[in-house]
Amino acid sequence: MATVQPTPTSFWNDTGKTGITSWIFSTDHKRIGLLYFYSTFGFFLVGVLLGLLLRIELMAPGRTIMGPATYNATFTVHGVVMIFLFIIPGMPGAFGNLVMPIQIGARDVAFPRLNLFSWWLYAIGAVIVLTSLFTGGGPPDTGWTFYVPFSARTGTNVSLAVLGVFVIGFSSILTGINFVTTIHRLRAEGMTWGRLPLFVWSIYATAWVQVLATPILGITLVLIMAERILGAGLFDPGRGGDPVMYQHLFWIYSHPAVYIMILPAMGVISDVIPVFARKPIFGYKMIAFSSLAIAAAGSLVWGHHMYTSGMSDTAILVFSFLTFVVAIPSAIKVFNWVSTLYKGSISLEAPMLFALSFILLFSIGGLTGLILGAAATDIHVHDTHFVVGHFHYVMFGGAGFAFFSAMHYWLPKFYGRKYAEKPAVIAWAFMFTGFNILYFSMMVLGLKGMPRRYYDYLPEFAPLNLVSTIGSWILAVGLIIMLVNLFRGLFWGEPVGSNPWGGATLEWSIPTPPPTENFDQEPVVTHGPYDFTKAGVP
Amino acid sequence: MDATHLITTTEAIDPVFMFIFGASLVLLLGIAATMVVFVIRYRRSRSPEPTSQVSGNLWLEVVWIVLPTLLVLAMFFYGWSGYLALRNVPKGAMEVTVTARMWSWSFTYPNGKTSNKLYVAVNKPVKVELVSRDVIHGFYLPAFRVKRDVVPGMKNHAWFVATKPGSYDLFCSQYCGTGHSAMITTVEALPEAEFAAWLAQKEGNPGRGLLEKHGCLGCHTLDGKPGVGPTFKGLWGRSETVVTNGRERHITVDEAYVRRSILEPNADVVKGFQPVMPSFIGVLKEEEIKAIIGYLRTGGAASAKRDGRKLAQEKGCLGCHSLDGSHGVGPTFKGLFGTTITVLRANKGVAVTADEGYLRECIRQPNTQLLEGFQPIMPTFTELSDDDVAALVEFIKEVK
Repeated sequence: MATVQPTPTSFWNDTGKTGITSWIFSTDHKRIGLLYFYSTFGFFLVGVLLGLLLRIELMAPGRTIMGPATYNATFTVHGVVMIFLFIIPGMPGAFGNLVMPIQIGARDVAFPRLNLFSWWLYAIGAVIVLTSLFTGGGPPDTGWTFYVPFSARTGTNVSLAVLGVFVIGFSSILTGINFVTTIHRLRAEGMTWGRLPLFVWSIYATAWVQVLATPILGITLVLIMAERILGAGLFDPGRGGDPVMYQHLFWIYSHPAVYIMILPAMGVISDVIPVFARKPIFGYKMIAFSSLAIAAAGSLVWGHHMYTSGMSDTAILVFSFLTFVVAIPSAIKVFNWVSTLYKGSISLEAPMLFALSFILLFSIGGLTGLILGAAATDIHVHDTHFVVGHFHYVMFGGAGFAFFSAMHYWLPKFYGRKYAEKPAVIAWAFMFTGFNILYFSMMVLGLKGMPRRYYDYLPEFAPLNLVSTIGSWILAVGLIIMLVNLFRGLFWGEPVGSNPWGGATLEWSIPTPPPTENFDQEPVVTHGPYDFTKAGVP
Repeated sequence: MDATHLITTTEAIDPVFMFIFGASLVLLLGIAATMVVFVIRYRRSRSPEPTSQVSGNLWLEVVWIVLPTLLVLAMFFYGWSGYLALRNVPKGAMEVTVTARMWSWSFTYPNGKTSNKLYVAVNKPVKVELVSRDVIHGFYLPAFRVKRDVVPGMKNHAWFVATKPGSYDLFCSQYCGTGHSAMITTVEALPEAEFAAWLAQKEGNPGRGLLEKHGCLGCHTLDGKPGVGPTFKGLWGRSETVVTNGRERHITVDEAYVRRSILEPNADVVKGFQPVMPSFIGVLKEEEIKAIIGYLRTGGAASAKRDGRKLAQEKGCLGCHSLDGSHGVGPTFKGLFGTTITVLRANKGVAVTADEGYLRECIRQPNTQLLEGFQPIMPTFTELSDDDVAALVEFIKEVK
């Protein structure tokens, strides 16, 4: 099965055409996946740059490199870019597109043209967001949450930025519909639900959240525009509106959106760990089920962002309870990942290092989430740097490190060449160290009472802010090493065979790089995704 | 209130922190240690082939579903009970109205006194009623683990008690624009006797405070401008034509007339105005009515010299404009008067002298005479009378 055949034309040079149009008008899921990868990862780098600027500003109290208005715009754009332009579209758009159809034995997604349209919507939305930075009243300064009444009053270019995010939302919905349909309809013979790779399960759960939750974001954003442009008064108490209602609407989407960000990441980890431990995943059914449980229960916990808002105590009781319920499936996943290592044969190559550090960082993120879920303790740390630290542990230490793991794990498959291992490990060590210095300091600052979105702070917060900023530089060094290594490796590195890691899922059974339609003939699946013995993997 | 039996907010919250952090630390160390041990024991160089292909264990999985469930339920209940302590305001708490605006705080005490720092008595619980003048702010006292958003149009509250004298930070926790991180003040906890003395210390005119507190000035101006009701400027002794039971008659404004107008406002309505004022029977106490009459009689509205410094504090000017020469969100007041500054007009820098006229214009029409290097974000203070503006200008002139 895994014999290397004379390579059929890979998707890189199938059309005989080169140049930009062969990419931006391609309906091939792999090309679209790479389009998403380039664009979302490009925005990730923009976001990183803004984040580093924020840290430099916070290095010492008072003005360091920018004024308060610039700082506020910078953290807003950092958040908007990272969340709406990188992490929400990134994992489903890039790796969902690249890998999921092959993993289920399909030639493409169910609606290839819709897939291309989704990327275009994303690109158009991104251009609108970028335009908002340089036109009108300048970049928005509301924070990525766009809370009213501030966002209705500020003279900055909020309307245009909101329009951009609105358009990107449609991209997300269409991708979700496409993936749900693909996973239901295009599985190869023998690819039963019980044999779906866990990455596919996680993409499936994510796709449902995209379809069901994103429309609410769209409605909320339209309401902001109605407020700003028409003066509708929906959220203005002076005209019978309610600012807290806006927060409900915003978080009804934006909390589930957190699961759009983290679920595919969990899928990556569930795929990587068995391969590098050469053991079946422990508790396959529980992991698959917990993805669905997280997607379902996670849709009902939005109110935990609002304990201090003045909503009723009954609502806080219910939302706090549901929040703790969501913690359970996440805990199950962590225990199952760790158990998979038991009596395995563990190889600590780059994808595995990122995956194992994901478990640690995500655990810290999850456990600090318990502090935020409990009503008593949340009140103290709500809207402080504790939340900033917690959120980055989950989103960067979690989703981000999983994204890096996926890059090291899957990109060689699609480029046909591999990065050098040693620099990858060095990069990982820098990033892991820098990350913890950067964000752990923030959590301590929050416990000491430093609010978030703070341009300036009291002297008592100075030492830890300096430590945090130094951590950001260490992280940046690691990031640069990783980028250079990946860039060199993927274009000029050593060629790799069809199955460099010894994986048992279908993407490793086809040539590297994959041919246009993935499979010569429709594969027949006879074993589970982590059944290494039956897959004949050495 | 006997403070010895009172559980403070800090005492209610901190054990919950300890419990959740403790349990989390045990879990995290357990996960990390297991992972490290597995990675070392089963590394490929030591264990070239997996020695097991186990793919699940029902009992193990049941255990790690049930145990975390019990643990998080315990956290939930404990967290909830701690939260209730934040919500249940002890009886007899002193009520202080907290007014938040971009970007300053002001505190109003039961006797009408206002301040920019929150003065409280040690061991005396304080209930804060949170009012926002513009956008959402957050009332945050890290030392007391207390936080509550200040939402326009909503009546939020919180409580705390300081058990030791001292100065505690008060932050705005909800992002509210350019001056968000400068929206800082303190809670000043004083021994009870000291606090009582501070509270009793009169400042300004109590009558004027009452006019502000009860919103009289929303309809009756102090500077002669027309409002929903007649202006208070030059009120005492003025001849007015009033309509009583549909008939016009002439009166002279005196104590009896003012008193009647407060208690039965629509009995004698000044000609040209609508009978829309609510009665203050039962709202104002006798001594309060006397204080208001005293204020109106002395012509305070027309002639009393306004205290510019106090006004600058009350209106939040000092939230952005410092007095010590450091530039905040706006330029410092220190040494501003009389200097030559560069302002932007139609995107061009023009040198002007910061004289009285300039200052007045800046207060009346902010952002039209913007000092170079600052953002056009100052709100318009329509409620300031000409006297107020003059007092502010006088005050700014004196900051050297």
